[in-house]
Amino acid sequence: MTTDVIQLENVWKIFGDNSEQAMKAIRDEGLDKAAVLERFGCVVGIADVSFTVPRGEIFCIMGLSGSGKSTLIRHLNRLIEPTAGKIKVLERDMSALDDKELRGVRAKHIGMVFQHMALLPHRTVLDNVAFPLEVQKVPKFKRWEISQHALSLVNLDGFEYRLPHQLSGGMQQRVGLARALASDPEVLLMDEPFSALDPLIRHELQNQFVSLTKTLQKTTVFITHDLDEAIRIGDRIAIMKDGRLIQTGTPEEIVMHPADDYVADFVKGISNLKLVSAHSIMAQLNSDTVPADVDLGAAIRTDENTSLEELIDLSVTTDLPIVITDETGAEVGIVSKDTLLTGIKGKGDE
Amino acid sequence: MNNTNAKADTSLMQKEQSESVHRFTERSGDYYSAQFEKIQSSTSATLSFNLAAAVFGPFWGAARNIWGFFWLSTIALLFALVQLGRGLWGELGADKLAQAARLGSKSQEMAAKAQVALEAGAANAEALLRNSTNLQRAADKASAAANEAAAGAEQLVMFGGVFLVAVMVLQGLLANLVYEKKYCRWRADYSEKSGFSYANLLVGSLMLAVMLPLMLYRFTATKPVAWLVEFPANKSIFNSASSWLDSAFDTVALYGAGFFDGITSSIRVLLDGLEVVLVDTPWPVITLVILFMAWRLAGPRVAIFTVAALAYLAFLGYWEKSMATIALLGAAATLCILVGVPFGILCAKNRTVDSIARPILDFMQTMPAFVYLIPIIAFFGTGKPPGILATLIFGMPPVVRLTALGIKQVPPSIVEGALAFGCSRRKLLLDVEIPLAMTSILAGINQTILMCLSMVVIASLIGAEGLGTDVLMALQFAAKGQGLLAGLAILFCAMIIDRIVQGCFKPTGRPAD
Repeated sequence: MTTDVIQLENVWKIFGDNSEQAMKAIRDEGLDKAAVLERFGCVVGIADVSFTVPRGEIFCIMGLSGSGKSTLIRHLNRLIEPTAGKIKVLERDMSALDDKELRGVRAKHIGMVFQHMALLPHRTVLDNVAFPLEVQKVPKFKRWEISQHALSLVNLDGFEYRLPHQLSGGMQQRVGLARALASDPEVLLMDEPFSALDPLIRHELQNQFVSLTKTLQKTTVFITHDLDEAIRIGDRIAIMKDGRLIQTGTPEEIVMHPADDYVADFVKGISNLKLVSAHSIMAQLNSDTVPADVDLGAAIRTDENTSLEELIDLSVTTDLPIVITDETGAEVGIVSKDTLLTGIKGKGDE
Repeated sequence: MNNTNAKADTSLMQKEQSESVHRFTERSGDYYSAQFEKIQSSTSATLSFNLAAAVFGPFWGAARNIWGFFWLSTIALLFALVQLGRGLWGELGADKLAQAARLGSKSQEMAAKAQVALEAGAANAEALLRNSTNLQRAADKASAAANEAAAGAEQLVMFGGVFLVAVMVLQGLLANLVYEKKYCRWRADYSEKSGFSYANLLVGSLMLAVMLPLMLYRFTATKPVAWLVEFPANKSIFNSASSWLDSAFDTVALYGAGFFDGITSSIRVLLDGLEVVLVDTPWPVITLVILFMAWRLAGPRVAIFTVAALAYLAFLGYWEKSMATIALLGAAATLCILVGVPFGILCAKNRTVDSIARPILDFMQTMPAFVYLIPIIAFFGTGKPPGILATLIFGMPPVVRLTALGIKQVPPSIVEGALAFGCSRRKLLLDVEIPLAMTSILAGINQTILMCLSMVVIASLIGAEGLGTDVLMALQFAAKGQGLLAGLAILFCAMIIDRIVQGCFKPTGRPAD
């Protein structure tokens, strides 16, 4: 039994009437996107995507519009059928489910939040949140009780009997989130949920969302076009371009070691102070790095996961280099003021 | 610095444009690129004269693929040439001349008779003589008119000639402007035809070669051959087609009798039920129920209106007839909605059904009602059920169309949202799509009711009695007052029903603020 809640293996999605032949041609002849469009009139939406998401992780998929990220997330609850490849959610092979099973999985195990909320305009907030439970034929009173609780999780007590259009955009999106949480699903799919909101509300909702999913232990796939948002929210980030995942890693890995120029371009403007930790920039402890006249005994010691921001704070209080220790307390490296400055400047190798 | 750059750009653009104009025109590229540049650099209307277009008008238009130019030029040319032809060869005043000759000979005849009578000493001799002089005077008048018309020939030639020259100058002046517009369209959209086409030139010339002689002949000959003036239609085609259709209708009516009777009797069951409720129930009960419904469903204002409308119907003695009409209309509208709404949903969901239904709905709406009254009488006889059927044909399309439109307009994002939470297709339709399409469906129902009502008079033609009969009678006897009163009664019935139905289906939930 693995802890991977979501597993994707070589998933392809080709749009168009001749998608099967196009898929075959890609397999046999290795056609590229442009050639497929020309020969079959088919558009390649998702190209050979594989990833896994372990339980409780927030997995961000970042890409610009048209990169296929929204298409990809819709494969996870089979709103879109893959042309090829395997998709497993909670140990279930999604393609093998029949209609009824699929509806059950969608209602019970996968919650989804949309960029444009997709609330039912003719229903009250409470009935909107209760919709997934209604689909599961939960009795009315029970589902209202549960929905009430879900609404209080997103701080929307007292708005139960309003209609969606009477609420602000941020509140509507919280209703969307409450609806996704109502049937207590293991998996949350977030399709650019905060993109349409103004920056202040967005920031507030991001924080609320992270603390909520962490306490509720939801496995989340989060789509965004905003790298800042991905870094703030994601445990891991995948960068998507033209239907392919071009790099997957922790925010720190992405910022420190961009896989190619495209990713590098993206992360250029990102501040690394909070992302990069001491072990990424520290020097080895040896005679080259430690000047003979320095007594390290008086130096400050800190954990190797200390961020650059904290290192700066420590560094202004002392003239000595800072000694870095691992979890066991053993000295593993040293950060001098020079190393720190180079680290802040970033990407070391530049 | 910037300036020189701009200049360089301009000359580069000029060069590019000149090349593309050459590609566009294929022939005389130099001429056209110079002319186009002149047109494009001027701020006001430009004088640019195209000699080829002026002289060869239609041929130029055809060869250059400007068919609008071809046709306008052809029409103007034909007009001018017909005038010229009439002036030159037409026997103008020929009819007047013939008339003069006829009158003259008659007058001579009369004079001869008068002579005979005079010699015989008959009493009518004087009268005959007077007749003869009168006829002679008329003959003189006719021949004068003929001479005048013949003299008009010169004027016609003059007018034709001036018109021809004017047309040529005008097409010469317009040609380059039109061609430049076409070039601009071609530059944006390469499917626009370009170049110089000999095939088109041939087609244009052939068309002119057919049209010009026929036109000249028709207008200059004194007595053109008959087949040119009137299409030599064959009566027997029409007769056999209509008799074939007659027999087809008869056959269908004969073999489908059981089917048609079934429909008739099932409509009658519905209608009888409604009539029992509306006509046979005592009027105070009906009034009370209608008022209560209007008040509860549509509010006090509609209730007050309903009181006034019902009073009108009652005091003018239309009560029973209006109830019969409402029963008729109610049966028709119920059937329309029962069939139309599900069918509209099907149209929205299924593209094949939609593409088949669309022309049929168009047919139902545009076909004049009198045309389908005939087969309805053939299949279903006369009376109220056939009247309801005729009303159905006319009243069904709006509810089908607007239901389909409403369902199609449900935002796909909301449908997707519902599906993502495991919603089944049935639940999606009942709890998401229909509620969201309700406004549109209601508009359709409203339209259908009003359309059904407008058919009441026509349906009364085939024996569907009610208020329509009154209007029909008024029409037959030109009774203006009676017609207007009955017409208003129909209107009030429609408004009461419409308001109550609207109130009944008002979307639930709190009103928007």
